[in-house]
Amino acid sequence: MLVLGIETSCDETAAALVADGEVVLSNVIATQLDLLRKFGGVVPEIAARRHTELIGYVIKEALDSAGKSLDDVEAIAVTSKQGLIGCLLVGVAAAKSLSYSRRIPLIGVHHIEGHIFANRLSNPRMPVPHVCLTVSGGHTMLLYVQDDCRYELLGTTLDDAAGEAFDKIAKFLGLDFPGGPVIDRLATKGDIKAFNFPRPMIRARTLDFSFSGLKTSVTNAFKDRISHNEALPLPDIAASFQEAIVDVLVAKTMRAATERGVSAVSVTGGVSANNRLRKVFQDTCRQSGMAVFFPELSLCTDNAAMIAAAGYARFKMGETADLNLNVFPNAPLEV
Amino acid sequence: MIVLGIDTSGYANAVGVIDGEKVLADFTFEARTDSLEKIVSNIDFALRSAKLVLDDVKGIGVGLGPGSWTGIRVGVTVGKILAFGTSKPVIGVPTLEALAYGARNEASLICPVISAGTGDTVYAAFYRAKDGIVVREGEYYVGNAPGLAAMLKEPTVFVGLEAETYSGLIREALGSLKISIGALEAVPNGAVVARLAAIRLEHGEGDDALSLTPLYLKESTARAFLGRYAGNAGVRD
Repeated sequence: MLVLGIETSCDETAAALVADGEVVLSNVIATQLDLLRKFGGVVPEIAARRHTELIGYVIKEALDSAGKSLDDVEAIAVTSKQGLIGCLLVGVAAAKSLSYSRRIPLIGVHHIEGHIFANRLSNPRMPVPHVCLTVSGGHTMLLYVQDDCRYELLGTTLDDAAGEAFDKIAKFLGLDFPGGPVIDRLATKGDIKAFNFPRPMIRARTLDFSFSGLKTSVTNAFKDRISHNEALPLPDIAASFQEAIVDVLVAKTMRAATERGVSAVSVTGGVSANNRLRKVFQDTCRQSGMAVFFPELSLCTDNAAMIAAAGYARFKMGETADLNLNVFPNAPLEV
Repeated sequence: MIVLGIDTSGYANAVGVIDGEKVLADFTFEARTDSLEKIVSNIDFALRSAKLVLDDVKGIGVGLGPGSWTGIRVGVTVGKILAFGTSKPVIGVPTLEALAYGARNEASLICPVISAGTGDTVYAAFYRAKDGIVVREGEYYVGNAPGLAAMLKEPTVFVGLEAETYSGLIREALGSLKISIGALEAVPNGAVVARLAAIRLEHGEGDDALSLTPLYLKESTARAFLGRYAGNAGVRD
């Protein structure tokens, strides 16, 4: 079954064709990096306008690059839950129009469930149950994945998402946007022990996260030097800051896995592309006999292939949406 | 020729279906009961009420705005993706032109006015009826309603949901200047959008579905802010 996925929840306009929830035939992503750099972040109105301009081209490209036509598409899956309301509305309006004009089923997908299915696409044999860490610019969430489409929320961030902390520190240090990849690159030349930044809530009883205090302690440490135009040891700051985040993410995920008695963890979302995070997870898991799964890099950040895969799973469970499908910017992942 | 027309710029879903001079369906679903997410269902309802299916439609007209930014984004997306999904032609119709067309029997100059939704800003333009259609004279206007007074030189009828209010403000701004002013209350209408689209389709015109974009007439606050401080921040559009 060929599913066309559409994703416009934030600042990527994306469409993809996935066969049987397994084979990615095309995965088209139009980024708004130029706008992000100019505005230092996502401006909802500007992002929504860009989605409207690009959505048709992106869908056509997803078909063309897969060598398929609309006649081949058997269902439409679209992100309808969690994201910026104006952005979600564009993707959902496009999906409904295709569903109606092609007389094919429409499936609404939760953005976070999409990220979980990115890992399923890359690792078809990933076991359930397992513990999943979803970590991006918008989320930091620990989930117990009981079965495909059955989740229990174990912990979430109380303030900033991990990726958001990367972006804000990069901005503070005068680095490029988005901050994650830049800090990842800089950190390879720095010393992870150069600065001892706090590991917020690492010993807290809950599995929740908090990154706002870490951000403050980094900015406090270098505010004076920046205002005096003094050169900063950027690679050392990047490496030490990144290490603090990675330590917290890995420690909490491992604790959740132990508490739940699972033998596998999965890491997904934009920050799962971070090299240091992958390395520490792999090392830690190897030592404790835990399996760890990451999506391939093209499926880490927001994309529509993961939405098509999740939509296919939901469709198989008999879930479809009607033409009145609404958007829910803050919907929790149904568990 | 059967043409579907939609307009979602005015906090309501307007859907109409026409065949030549005949109006087969014409509905305005108020945002209170039928909101934006129901636009595709509303289209289906309008077609069914005319005992038609989407395949019977030969072209799609869509109101481009100005108006509600979210509204025109959804309307234009639906219009262009329906066109893409059915390989039918799509025509973007400026909502101001659709309002002016509704007043085409007026002998005076026609000035549709739409509230920008923030403060006292309005979107407007001047049209003149000619040979059964309306032709825009000059540029689109974005500013406050009394500001339109300075542009008036001849009898003018104002058209729109708040035409009465605006014409009052403009009359006040004109002061002792004696220019005859009229007001015609009207909202964006799907059948009118369909009719204007049909006229263009009959002339062999059509818009490119993939590149069709709403007519916002106003940049987002963030972009306006950046533009104003572009010199200081060293950023360029």
